Amino acid sequence: MSDRTFEALMSEHHAEIYRYILRVTGRRHDADDLSQETFLRAFRAHRTLPPDANSRAWLFAIATNLTRNHFRSQKRRRVAYQAVVTETRETDEERPDGVTLSQEIGTAVEHVVAKLPLKQRLAFLQRKVHGLEYDAIGQSLQCSAETARAHVFQALRKVRRVLEGRELIGKEFAS
Amino acid sequence: MKRRAAGCIEIETDLVAAAIGEADAGAENRVAAHVAKCESCRVEHSGYRAIDHQLGVIREKAVDVPGVARSRERLEARLDDLRSRIVAYRVFDSPLGPVLLARSEQGVVLLEYLHGRRDPGASRLARVHGIEAVEDAGETEGLYREFRAYLDGRTQHLSWPLDLRLAASPFQRKVLETTARIPYGAVVSYKRLASDLGQPRAVRAVAQALRWNPVPVAIPCHRVVGASGLLTGYAGGETGRKRQLLTTEGVPLVPAHDDFAVARGAMYLLAPGDSEYCLPSCASTETLQSGLLTYFGSRNRAEAVGLTPCTSCRPDLHPLHEVN
Repeated sequence: MSDRTFEALMSEHHAEIYRYILRVTGRRHDADDLSQETFLRAFRAHRTLPPDANSRAWLFAIATNLTRNHFRSQKRRRVAYQAVVTETRETDEERPDGVTLSQEIGTAVEHVVAKLPLKQRLAFLQRKVHGLEYDAIGQSLQCSAETARAHVFQALRKVRRVLEGRELIGKEFAS
Repeated sequence: MKRRAAGCIEIETDLVAAAIGEADAGAENRVAAHVAKCESCRVEHSGYRAIDHQLGVIREKAVDVPGVARSRERLEARLDDLRSRIVAYRVFDSPLGPVLLARSEQGVVLLEYLHGRRDPGASRLARVHGIEAVEDAGETEGLYREFRAYLDGRTQHLSWPLDLRLAASPFQRKVLETTARIPYGAVVSYKRLASDLGQPRAVRAVAQALRWNPVPVAIPCHRVVGASGLLTGYAGGETGRKRQLLTTEGVPLVPAHDDFAVARGAMYLLAPGDSEYCLPSCASTETLQSGLLTYFGSRNRAEAVGLTPCTSCRPDLHPLHEVN
């Protein structure tokens, strides 16, 4: 892939990768850092990417991998310092610009998704928000397409269970 | 807890798939038939559909998250920095042994003889700060083809753009720039080069600067020899490669003192500042120090750089027996 193609790749997918990481981590700071790191890594490697490769899925795989490492090292730090870690997801009050997270990307579904275990959250967002194929999701999580699908379905079940009985479900679609 | 019927458990995965539009026709039909007669699964099914609908809403409004633009700006700045540091390299098996060829956006940064090892870890690149070495994906292929053509004598000039970032000092850069002007098929001495640089006593410093020439061949340090005509050294090693390169360029060599020397007696010579080339026997050059002359392997090579035959010794009428 040429440098010009890389520019195009960045124009096309940067915002999407940023949003993906923002949804996974819930923190703007992480989305900023990790999306930049995703593209810097991609730049180092893009010249060796085969011309027929699915570059969008490739970017998602890099972002997914970095995000998982990020959570892993965060966990290690917590263990190492025995720190009392409070929930650090951005709450609406913490937002400096006055825009609430729920106004921005939040819906009832997203609030539940934010609480899913990491792998399920990654698989779910890739599939249901970004529309990636299970093969690609499996590759990004180093598992099979079937396992990736199982993660997504498991996530869906949890979301449905949590939202069961709320206004959201039942009226509009109940037959 | 309410126990679910076996049929409901069995169809559950298909039911999720059908609700989110991922089921095949067979599963769709089975689910439709099941929910028609099972109230709790019908509720479940519509629950999944409602979630799927909401996800559609999320997808639709996925534009314009604040912060993206600023993040993109920071990314562009970091990419510019990375681009300027990235050097793509590859090791080739050349007739001169394994060579590592590396290029940046600006040009060739390094041509390095790996002295028998193919390991890029042994390269200078691994020890340079501020460079990010990445494996080549074809950028150096064309450069290497030209290098091969040069070694085979099919071309006399490498058209490589050069990036002299590995030149450690302004002095080394000056030495390299002066060396770059020595024509194909000609040799000069380290002493002459030092004199051309206006530092006639800096002979050893010139030799050191050439020892660390980051782009040998492209900057032809093989055309620089000892004041006595001995090859003396090349790229920090023995002179085998230097011999090969000079022979390709038609410079005659003779064995001398465990080394080789340029056969000056069989070459045309040029005095500093002159535009006529002479026979070694020319009376007009008798008083000049041999270490300060430029020697050419053939008349063609001398005339290729615009020199004319000396009007007193007439090399055009009494040519030397040339090697090739």
